Amino acid sequence: MDVAARSARRSAPPWHPVHDGDGRRPAVTAGINHEIDLVVRARAGDRDAFERLVRLHADRLYAVVLRVSGDAHEAEEVVQETFLRAWRNIDRFQGRSQFFTWLYRIGVNEARRSQERRRARPQSAPLADAETQIPDERQAPQARAESHELRRALEAAILALPLEYRMPLVLRDVEGLSTAQAADVMELGEAAFKSRLHRARLAVREAVDHFVAQRDDT
Amino acid sequence: MIRRLLAKRRFMRDHRFTQAHLSDYVDGDLRSPERERVEEHLHWCPECRRVLESLRRTLMELMGLRTPPHESFAPSVIDRLRRET
Repeated sequence: MDVAARSARRSAPPWHPVHDGDGRRPAVTAGINHEIDLVVRARAGDRDAFERLVRLHADRLYAVVLRVSGDAHEAEEVVQETFLRAWRNIDRFQGRSQFFTWLYRIGVNEARRSQERRRARPQSAPLADAETQIPDERQAPQARAESHELRRALEAAILALPLEYRMPLVLRDVEGLSTAQAADVMELGEAAFKSRLHRARLAVREAVDHFVAQRDDT
Repeated sequence: MIRRLLAKRRFMRDHRFTQAHLSDYVDGDLRSPERERVEEHLHWCPECRRVLESLRRTLMELMGLRTPPHESFAPSVIDRLRRET
């Protein structure tokens, strides 16, 4: 079975770009086929096709890496390195997984290397609001302030997790990948992935509970 | 007396099982007998109900962290690709 046929059997992630194609096929199928076409062309050396893949995936990958690293500059560097590495090794993509899981796997490994390099440096502060927060104008000021505080507590709890627990949580619970997709990115069996995810969730849950208890006391 | 001891032992076994499988339960990943075992225990155990409730709240909050990027990051990646390859 070739790359295109294998990839077409798998479903798209929730944010997978959707193209109408010729209008006769379901939009999602057309979107997958469009991406497969780009991958096949990129594998043949077509850089324009690869640049279109960059446009499809760069922003989402950046969001994942930013959430994992907590540092905008580092996330930018990691994403750039990821795409450079992906372009240089695109011929190694065999289509055994979706293109985006292959790409995210490179990104996760790159983020891991980057974290190891800066291990000696102090931990980043939680992500700055300007980078991540969209204010909800429908909320009353007090509710907005509470939501803002809870968000900061959550972000701090995520960044306090060891990287190997942080990544499953970000991929599955923040970015919305399926368990199978996220385990594939992490190169883990589903049982091992679920075990890490459960422990990460419980740790973050404690931070949320602590926040709620403090709020209720005041 | 013995019956009560056995019931307590069973309760603790189900308690550990439930605590270990709450993630699978909220994800809908448990098969029928396991799901029923968790639900039966949840009915009797306020501690596990509390954990479940806060786990669900945490997952909702985590989902809320997902935000679309403010600006496209692709042009800077493409610039670097063109420079270095």
